[in-house]
Amino acid sequence: MSSSKDMGNTSLLEFLDLQQLNCLNESAEHPFKAIVASKKRNATSAFLQSDADEQLLLNIAFNQSVRVRSIVIQSDELSTAPKKLKLVINRSNVGFEDLEDADEPDVAQVLELSEEEVKEGKQVALRFVRFQKVNSLHIFVVSNRGGEEETRIDKIDVFGIPVETTKDLSGLHNQEHNH
Amino acid sequence: MPLEATMMIIDNSEYMRNGDYTPTRFDAQADAVNTVFQTKIDSNPENTVGVMTMAGKGPEVLVTHSKDLGQILQAIHTTSSKIGGSIDIPTAIAIAQLALKHRENKNLRQRIIVFVGSPLEGQAADEKAMIKLAKKLKKNNVALDVVSFGDGIEEPGEEGKTILRSFVDNTSSGDNSHIVTVAPGMRLISDALISSPILSADRLSSIPDELMEGADAPSASGSGAVNDFEFGVDPSLDPELAMALRMSMQEAQAREAAEAAASSTSISQPHTDSSATQASTTLPTSVTAEPTDSEEEALLQQAIALSRGDHDIEMDTTHNEDDVPMDEDEDEEAAIARAIAMSMQPPQPPQKDEEAKK
Repeated sequence: MSSSKDMGNTSLLEFLDLQQLNCLNESAEHPFKAIVASKKRNATSAFLQSDADEQLLLNIAFNQSVRVRSIVIQSDELSTAPKKLKLVINRSNVGFEDLEDADEPDVAQVLELSEEEVKEGKQVALRFVRFQKVNSLHIFVVSNRGGEEETRIDKIDVFGIPVETTKDLSGLHNQEHNH
Repeated sequence: MPLEATMMIIDNSEYMRNGDYTPTRFDAQADAVNTVFQTKIDSNPENTVGVMTMAGKGPEVLVTHSKDLGQILQAIHTTSSKIGGSIDIPTAIAIAQLALKHRENKNLRQRIIVFVGSPLEGQAADEKAMIKLAKKLKKNNVALDVVSFGDGIEEPGEEGKTILRSFVDNTSSGDNSHIVTVAPGMRLISDALISSPILSADRLSSIPDELMEGADAPSASGSGAVNDFEFGVDPSLDPELAMALRMSMQEAQAREAAEAAASSTSISQPHTDSSATQASTTLPTSVTAEPTDSEEEALLQQAIALSRGDHDIEMDTTHNEDDVPMDEDEDEEAAIARAIAMSMQPPQPPQKDEEAKK
């Protein structure tokens, strides 16, 4: 997967920092962690659901800098699937009120998901140049397709490449043992 | 075990000069703040607590994210000479939310505890506005507790609902927000808080789970009377006593079961068989077991002896090992060994209270 041929097409979920991961307005029964805890694209029946209203704010932290090329957001129910998204990078204390009125270029990208994209989990290409040094990615789900009170996300994935300058030090320990 | 950043909003309006709580409303509140702080910090060393006031010239943050009791005390002391004005709940909550948002450790859940001792006015008296504010808190994953006392106790409107209650209900997500009303009288606000759901989660975290399993049942089914608790003691008020009582109960049950098993194997009469099954069915549901008076007395004595770690109290120590062979005694042995290990006593032979039961 990491050969130069398919650069930018590897899942970045393996670089997730689960400790720092959180989501605003997630319901207690269907939290964000349930669909990303495996650090792979969710294969279980668990899903993420919003609580008080249809908006969600996913704060995705990585344990090293990454370049994000595309994202996948899939929802099994079309009427509650996310529609309008605002993406922000590297803002640790972001809340709904900060993003409500924000638009480009204050946020990195505003996009609307098509029916096909959420249904089949197609990759949605981002403006690669704006996601060159991402330590944390914040996805603000503004609205859903059916105008429902609840938004549901079944699977989420982030594609791109890790920034080469940072090395994963967790492998260092094993190397020392081999000597 | 809750991992939380808490912001306490205290009332320092003119209403706090009232003397219907001992010694004054403000001092009773200060005592409660102290109790909440201690409980939160004790339940998890990573927890942080802040304090702010919501009356005076305007809401003011006094301490942010502290683990230091001195800072809290100092803040209360400073405030005690600055009582005045009237409360502004919506603004205070907005400020508290901002303070919580910029907490250092993002793993801490956010919680706001509001002390209300003055009548609601302005925006705070408008139920719709308060529900809107509640929704906003819920959306931002902020839990909210309200302690209402003095003039903060509202007359229930239609359907028996008060503004503060519907405010809390609308914030609650997964039963994480509570309201406690403390009526004037001899009871301290801090005492009322300790046994309330606001602090119960923090207090229960210091009691091992296996000892708590039956404790929730009576309070859940109960009508609120004091004697609804098993053994007539609230386990959250005195964890050690509850633990001792429960251990002696389990011990007695284990012994009962062992004896029943022994008699059924040696005599194998249909009558004793049924008693054996009876004993074994009562074993897991400790709550439903209703010991007779004499049995209860014996249990209580044993519990007292255990909790004191006192060997001098001699209970009925008639041993009838001939009736019960040692190898049938394993359950009992294990239970006693556990009890002994927990109460730090040296091992001693199992005590029988056959006479007390018969």
